[in-house]
Parts: sequence; structure tokens; C-alpha cells
Amino acid sequence: MPVPANLEFFIDPSRCIGCNACVQACSECDTHKGYSMIQLDYLDRASSPQTVPVVCMHCDSPTCAEVCPADAIKRMGDGVVQTARKPRCIACNNCVLACPFGVPKMHTAMQLMMKCDMCYDRASVGKKPMCTSVCPSQALFYGTREEIERLRPQSRPIKAFKFGQQIITTKVNLMVPKGAVIEHLDVVAAMAEATVGNRMNEDDVLLAGIELDE
Amino acid sequence: MNRDDPEQLTITPDGRPTEEQPRWRQDFPIDWPQDEYRSRRDFAKLLGLTSLAFVVGQAWIVILSLLRKTRDRPQVREVAAVDEVPVGGSKLFNYPRQGDLCVLVRVSADEFVAYGQRCTHLSCPVIPRPDLGRFYCPCHEGWFDLFTGQPLAGPPRRPLPYVALQVRDGRVYAIGVGEGVV
Amino acid sequence: MATLPVPPQEIRARFGPHLSRSTGMRLDTGLSPDKVVKTHCCFCGQQCGIQLLVKENQVIGFEPWMEFPFNEGKLCPKGIKRYLQDAHPDRLLHAYERDPSAPGGFKPIAYEAAIRRVASEIERLQSQHGHQAFACLSGASLTIEKAYLMGKFARVCLQTPYIDYNGRLCMVSAAAANKKAFGIDRAANPWSDILRAEVVWISGANVAECAPITTDYVWQAREHGAKLIVVDPRITPLGRTCDLFLPLKPGRDVALFNGILHLMIEHDWLDHAFIRDYTVGFDQVAASVKPWTPQRTAQVTGIAERLIRQAAELWGTARTSFLMHARGIEHHSHGVHNCLGAINMVLASGRIGREGCGYATITGQGNGQGGREHGQKCDQLPGARDLDNPEHREHVARVWGIDPDDLPPPGVDVYEIFRKIDAGEVKGLLSICFNPLVSLPDSHFVSRMLDKLEFYVAIDFFLNESAQHADIILPGSLHEEDEGIVTSAEGRVIKINKAVDCPGEAREDWRIIQDIAQALKRPHGFTFASPAEILEELRHASRGGVADYYGITYDKVEREYGVFWPCPAEEHPGTPRLFEPGSWNPVAQGRGPFYFPDGKARFNVAEYTPPAEEPDAEYPVILTTGRVISHFLSGTQTRRIGPLVDHCPEPFVEVHPQLAAKFDLADGDWATVESRRGTCTLKAHVVKTIRPDTVFIPYHWAGEQSANRLTIAAQDPISKIPEYKVCAVRLKKADRQ
Repeated sequence: MPVPANLEFFIDPSRCIGCNACVQACSECDTHKGYSMIQLDYLDRASSPQTVPVVCMHCDSPTCAEVCPADAIKRMGDGVVQTARKPRCIACNNCVLACPFGVPKMHTAMQLMMKCDMCYDRASVGKKPMCTSVCPSQALFYGTREEIERLRPQSRPIKAFKFGQQIITTKVNLMVPKGAVIEHLDVVAAMAEATVGNRMNEDDVLLAGIELDE
Repeated sequence: MNRDDPEQLTITPDGRPTEEQPRWRQDFPIDWPQDEYRSRRDFAKLLGLTSLAFVVGQAWIVILSLLRKTRDRPQVREVAAVDEVPVGGSKLFNYPRQGDLCVLVRVSADEFVAYGQRCTHLSCPVIPRPDLGRFYCPCHEGWFDLFTGQPLAGPPRRPLPYVALQVRDGRVYAIGVGEGVV
Repeated sequence: MATLPVPPQEIRARFGPHLSRSTGMRLDTGLSPDKVVKTHCCFCGQQCGIQLLVKENQVIGFEPWMEFPFNEGKLCPKGIKRYLQDAHPDRLLHAYERDPSAPGGFKPIAYEAAIRRVASEIERLQSQHGHQAFACLSGASLTIEKAYLMGKFARVCLQTPYIDYNGRLCMVSAAAANKKAFGIDRAANPWSDILRAEVVWISGANVAECAPITTDYVWQAREHGAKLIVVDPRITPLGRTCDLFLPLKPGRDVALFNGILHLMIEHDWLDHAFIRDYTVGFDQVAASVKPWTPQRTAQVTGIAERLIRQAAELWGTARTSFLMHARGIEHHSHGVHNCLGAINMVLASGRIGREGCGYATITGQGNGQGGREHGQKCDQLPGARDLDNPEHREHVARVWGIDPDDLPPPGVDVYEIFRKIDAGEVKGLLSICFNPLVSLPDSHFVSRMLDKLEFYVAIDFFLNESAQHADIILPGSLHEEDEGIVTSAEGRVIKINKAVDCPGEAREDWRIIQDIAQALKRPHGFTFASPAEILEELRHASRGGVADYYGITYDKVEREYGVFWPCPAEEHPGTPRLFEPGSWNPVAQGRGPFYFPDGKARFNVAEYTPPAEEPDAEYPVILTTGRVISHFLSGTQTRRIGPLVDHCPEPFVEVHPQLAAKFDLADGDWATVESRRGTCTLKAHVVKTIRPDTVFIPYHWAGEQSANRLTIAAQDPISKIPEYKVCAVRLKKADRQ
């Protein structure tokens, strides 16, 4: 059964609190029990507790599948990109190198690439993917566009990313501020900015708020 | 992008339309429905072609058998002039078609016999021995009766194919074959 | 008894902590569970609904419970991996007796023999030295039935005044302040009121790591335009994107609250009608905050003046608001006053008792709310009644079928019990759901006291670090092996359901207590056949009290996804929001919504006193302690779950780069932190997200990694809560690298 077309995946990294619930719940999913397909990283712990979860973006034209020499990665009719098929995967790492989001991970011991498949065993029967079910801050959200519009009046979803000259459109949406005048996220341009904070020379929020000792 | 249309590839990385894409993109589609369609189409093609092959094969057999019927109407062919073959001599000829080797033996002044020359054991050419009243196959010491074509000794079990002859106006004509395809 | 029976590494080798990971059936895919049990998490007070998957009497996994309204399927990593505590290699399957010649220092003995020994020791100590020679320590992660039974056990069976619980380290400051101000100790509003608040004020609560599900409520409020104010010496994940962050110096919360109230009065951001009609004592409090000018407040709190003014304006001009606090302001030697200061701010705004206008302390433990209502506190009787109130004693004694004069007088708090061990007055101890060696401040003192006891029996499912000092260990039950009710942080009573049977010789805690009572030949009142029977009696015992559970039954709780107490009758729907104008309560009898005879809330003067131990020349740095997301309390459970330990394997000390530079500390270096009570060598995390005069250590570990080796036992005079959040330390780069 295909994933219902009206249910979509939305990520809002600004809501991530680094609790790791998604990582722990992911490894409980039937398709890949014991292994978590989500990576959760601090951006710059010395400056901020900001974390970001990395899930497969399920691109419309998945680079991982394009470069797979064994035709091991397939995308379903509903747009979910499956993980590598064990009979075909030759552990060549092409997909690991090619994915612009850094999603596929090679499990060398198993000679198999594994990546998020949007909990296809759950999504295809109308349940929510594990990570979105448990995320306490709902940085990972699964539901209809109407729901997200109603719940997040301050943000809107985009699904296009620009890497250098190439625009990649994805099935998974990224939430950006409502007033942001962008249609895609320019990743290379963003790399030039500081990881944490909008302005390079912004005051340290904590130090600026401190009064000298009594 | 229309995922429902199996003819159409989904979004290609460079955005160019399907027709301009290299052939391998169509042969190895990433999208499962296309892949399945591809596989289904290929399988359907396989089934169709195989069926067609069977049909054609059957038709061919029918045609062949029809042709054979035509073929089996006796043709008359001149084999030799009577004076050409001495008594006790023989002549090789092809009847009814080129490649069907037969041997004509003049048994006596006015008696001729002819049979297919392929030994019914393993197709070696048999040698006429009118002095013995037999055909001799040297390959495996097979012997056939000269007058009936029946196997007399050795491995052959079936008689040599009999060629019917007619002598007219000093000429010997083959007019038909007996049991057994030559 | 005397020190550990064998060296600690031998105990650890035999009894753990060992890490459990998913193996066997837990890794099988496509497995159909035998049953799916709807229950709640065994950890914090959010009490998220969760479904446990059971196969062949083992919990093999979980499934989100989307319908439970509080969390709607959301969970934190502890709840997700909780099932790995079931069928754990470290699980105590037998009763154990201290024996230095046995592997690990404890030898398994027959359960009945253990019970007999416990009873005979209790009998001996009490007959030789009096009933008070035996004390009980209980905990707030037990179900209400068991918490109630413990209180009754101490008073009726052991007839000792000395019982207290681990909530003494948790909720007592908020409890005392709430009772002083409102007459009742419960969250004033359900969490749903957060969504309508224009300003959400969070003081001393690391919501993202300690009450993660609350994060979505707060973020949702922000989506609708709410402003978030966070007060904390560290930038926590919640503070990261708040609208106003106030980097408070530890120990100065009440100064800030008084300063805010001062500005509220100055700008007339007050609800005069509310103050006039629903409160008393405002004038006295207004006078007490006069000296708290913005300048003075800034000086004392260490927060820039402009931020204080901004916070006051945001708070003062809002039309709806929700103020929450947690241990950050409560774990102080003036924790009660801290809370009173916060409550004053709320009362002065008038924003309480209606939709979108709320106040709550975020209860920490699973049954921290229920566990502080029904008698396992040293001065409490069921229904939040008082042990020194003759009417209350009368009512409860009647339910228990005893003479009110047989009820002991109020006892003392847990730390005082330890001092009484030191004084020789308390010679025997029974503990359940409590790990004092890790959880109490000044671990060296606690360890000496456990050794000083003549007899110590611990009931637990793993051998926790305190129980390593015990003479007898009795094998108790896990959360998923028993059923009962628990009250969440909101005041919502929910049902815990049994998923699997107790393994080996382990049995439900309430059976163990009753077995001891039987063996003591004092079985009267301890013959319950099931938790349902205990609840039946509890309903009557709490009836008419402030914490009225009379209308609560298992069926109703499950049908309605929880029932908010007070619920005085079965037809009563429960009370999600307290203090609604026109509401009735048994204390005010209709004169007002608050739980005082005149129905009005009290303003209490909130005095600022500095922490007990301020930094000085010798120990110039402030130490504050707290928690991390992957571990819970003393870590007895979470330090045995592999994936949780993977995420956070060991404690650390957070140091600001400016402070680190003074000691030549780089990120990842080992640092020795030393206080007047002990030392701890930990890896340094050099981060900008903490005040430069403060360091932070999470406390979930034991032994040499225990933060409580450093903390001070200074207690709030009213609540007796220890001052975990402030003490003085010094740092140096450790020799070991």
C-alpha cells in the first residue's frame, strides 16, 4: 500500500532539543531493528546546545539511486526512497559519497548501506514514522499540510535545496520562517555563515545578560 | 512529473526531458513503478515472443506437412539409359530430391532394381553385390537382400527404401518411392 | 552494616551495572506480540502514555500510544528504551543476605528466611530501644497504593514516627510554598492552559532535558505569539530560542522575583480587583519588595538591569500567562522562599484560575505528586492531611481501625533521620525506591551512616549503591510487573497496568511489606489481596481531605484518560483547573476558590538569604548540579540500559571558556573539582552556555563519579530540602590525562 499522498514529513531544526528520542525510537522500527537511521549532531556545542537531526530527504531525483551501480536503491511510487536492497548492494559507498545531505551510512560488517526509509512498514499502513511519533518538541512532524499550517503559523515549508548549481527537490519539507523570502535553501551560501547565530559579530547572549558581581 | 504514467521517467537530475536522456535511464529506472512496469513489460514481451515463437513454429510445421503432401505425389525422373548400365553394374542417382542418394542395379538384361543408398543402420552408403544378390554395408558388416531390400545380416533392422522403376524406350525412369522416407 | 562486604569492583562484577541491549526476540522483525499493554512511563512526572509489547512474558518493545491526550504518542529516549530493564541480567531474583564469602558479597537465601530475619531484627531493635529505633525510607516513583501502604506500615505496623521519602529531595519546597500560598499542593492548571498563555515564564527548569514533552506545549504557545522567558544559569535547549534569557546567578531566584514584583508595583501592572477579592497580605509583601530596585536586583541576581526591566514588562503587561518552575529554584536553603516569590508574582498579576492563566511546579518523579499526598511524608496522612491535626488523625485512624492515640507524632525529614543514625537514636532502616548514597548531599557522611546502622534492609529490583551496604535485600517489582494509580505533574491520576509477571522470587512490593507485617505478627491492616483493595481503602482514607481521591476508580481513570484530583465522588468529573472563581473546596466551603477558611490566597513575604555556602577565596567557583536527558535520578535503572548509556556514558563538568582559561583547561581535559566535602575528577566540557562563575555537574552516577560527594547538606528550614544547586568548589587541571 502506498503512503497516503496527503501525509507529509516536515522538519523544523530550530525546534530540535537534542533529546535523542528520534534516534532511540528509530532503532525500534521493524525494518531495521537495532540500528538507528537518524543522526543527531550538535552544530557547535561550545557555542550552543543546538542540535539537528538528519533524516533521509527522499529526493525527487535521488542522487543515491542515480549513482548506485547495482540498481539497489529504488523509489516507490509514493516518493519514498527505500534503503539499499541487500541482494544487490555491493557496499561500494557511491551513495554515501554522493548524497548531498550525508544520509546513507555504510554498515561495513553487513556489507550493506542502510538509510532512513520513512519507516515504510509503518507509513504504508497509515501509522506515523517512529521519529515523528515520539519527537517531544515535534521538530520532526508527520501530518497533512493543513495540519502544519494550522499548528505553525510562524513558519512555512519548502522542499528545494540548492547545492552549487544544482537544485534538488525533496519529498521531505523543511520549515523556514514565514517571512523568509526564499524558495530554496542555498546550502553552499549557508556554509559561509557562522553555524550558530545570524551575525558573525553578535554579542554572546549569556555574557551580555550578566551584571558584574556584587 | 507524473508518476502514474509509466512511460514517463520522473524528474531527471538535469531536468531535460525523457527523450533526451541516455538509454540506460529507461532500461534501469529508479522508480519502482517504472521498474516494475519495465519488468512487467519485459516479462510480457518475453511471454508474447515465446508464444509467438510457438505459434510460428506450429504454423511452420503445418506448412511443412502441407508441402510434404505435395512433395509426396510421385515425380518421374530419368535415371539412366538402359545401355548405360552393364549387367551387374550400378549407378548412383538422386531421387526424389537432390541429396536423396539412391543406387540403381541392373540385375540382369532386363531387370533393374533401385533403393535408397543410405544404410538403415547408420546411413553409410551400401555397396551393391549383385554377384551375391545382396547389398553390403562395410561400416558394420550389414547385408541387405538385393531384390527386396530387407536386412539380412548385421545391425540394420529396417529395409532399404524401395524406389519404383519403369523402363520405357530404352530408358530407366524412377517413378516413386516405397515405405520409408528416403 | 559495616562497610561493603567485598571490594566494590567485585560487587559490580556480580550485580552490575551491566548494560542490557536488544537481543533475541527484541531484535526479531515482524514479531506479533502476545499482548499490547497500555500503561505509562516509569520515569518522570510527565507520565507519558506508552504501550508495551509483551511476548512470552517478556517486554520486547514499545508502541506509541497516540490517543493518550497528555503526550499524544510523544516520548523521550528513557521511555523508549525503558523496556530493556525487563529480563535484565542484573535483576535481583532472590532475597540476598550480606556474606563476604559469597560472590559479589551477597548470598541468595530463601525469601521466607529473609523475611523472618527482617522481622526478628525489627522486633529486637524496637523492643530494646523503642519503636523509633527503626526508620523507613520510601520513594515517589512507587504507585499511590504502595506509597500509601508505606505510610500506613510505618505508623500502624512499625509504629515509628521516622518515615520519609525521596521527594524530600524533590518537591517539598514547592509543596510547602504552595500550601502556604494556596492551601493546596498541586499544579494549579492542566498543561493545556500553557497553549493560551501570552507569556510563559520558566525558572529553574531544564524542560528540554527533564520534562521533554512539556517542550511542545511551550513551543506551541510560541507559535501563537507567546513570549518565552527563561531564567537559568545555563542556556539549556529550551533557553536557546527563548525571547528573553536571564542568566541568573545560582541562589538568587527570590531576589529576581522580588525585583519583578517591585517593577510591577512601580508601573501598576497589577490586577487590583483580584488582589482585593481573592488574596490577603499584599500590602506586607509590597512593602517587603520596596528595597528591590532594578539596580539592587541586578546586582544581587547577576542579571543585567535592562533584562530585568524587559522581563517585568513582558510579564506585567500580558493578559494571560503561565509560570513554571522546577528544582532550579527549589533545591536551595531558601527554596520555599524562592517559590513564594514566584507565587507572589503570579498572584499580583491575577492570572490564575482561568483559561490560559496558570502556575505549576513541574513535578520530577513519576508519582512525585501522588507520592507526596498520602502519608509517606514524615508529617503527613492520606488525603494530604497533617499528622499533627487531631481531626485528621481521627479520620484516618477510623479508616485504619486503630486508636488515634496509637498514631505516632510527626517525624523528621530524611537528612535528619541520618543525623539520628549518627546520634544513635535510629539503629535500623528499611528502604524502598530510594538510593540515598547517590541522591543525598555529602555522600561520605551518608555512607558512614549506612555503615553505622545495626540493621539495614533494602527492597529493590537492582542492587543499587545504597543497598550494597545492606544486610538483607528483598527482591521487589518493576513498574511493569504491578498495577496501580499514579498522579502526574498536572495532577492527573492515571493507571499503570501490569505487563509481565515478576521473575524468580521477586514479588510485588506491597506483598513484601505485608509479608514483613505478617512475620512481625502485626498483620492488622496489611491483608490486602491486590492493589485494587488498597485503593479502595485509600479512597476512604483520603475522603474529605484536600487531596480527595474518593471518586477515583481504575475503571474511571482508564475510561477518561486520567482524572484530575480532587474528585470527591464517583460522578464528579475531576478538577483539571484549580482556583476557578466560584469553585468549592472543603476548606473554604464556598467562601472562595483557595484552600483556606476565607477562600483567599496568601501573599507571603519572600525573603532573600544568600546560599549557605558562598564562593570565597579558597573555593571561588559556584557548583550547581542537575540532570541529563538520558538518565533518571540516581541512575539505578538508566545506567543499566545500553543505548541510554551510549548517549551519555559518564558525568562531566561544564565550564565557561573564561573560567577554563584560568585553570588552563581545554575541552576534554580531566578536571578535579573539590569542595569542603570531597572531590570529583571529571572530563571538562568547555562551553559558552553557562555563567563564567559557575560550573555544572550532572548527578546520576555513583562512587567516584558522584556529584553529591561535593554538595552540601544545608537544608531549607521549612521544607528541609538540601541545597543541591549551590555550593562552593575549586577547580584544577587533573594530574591524570
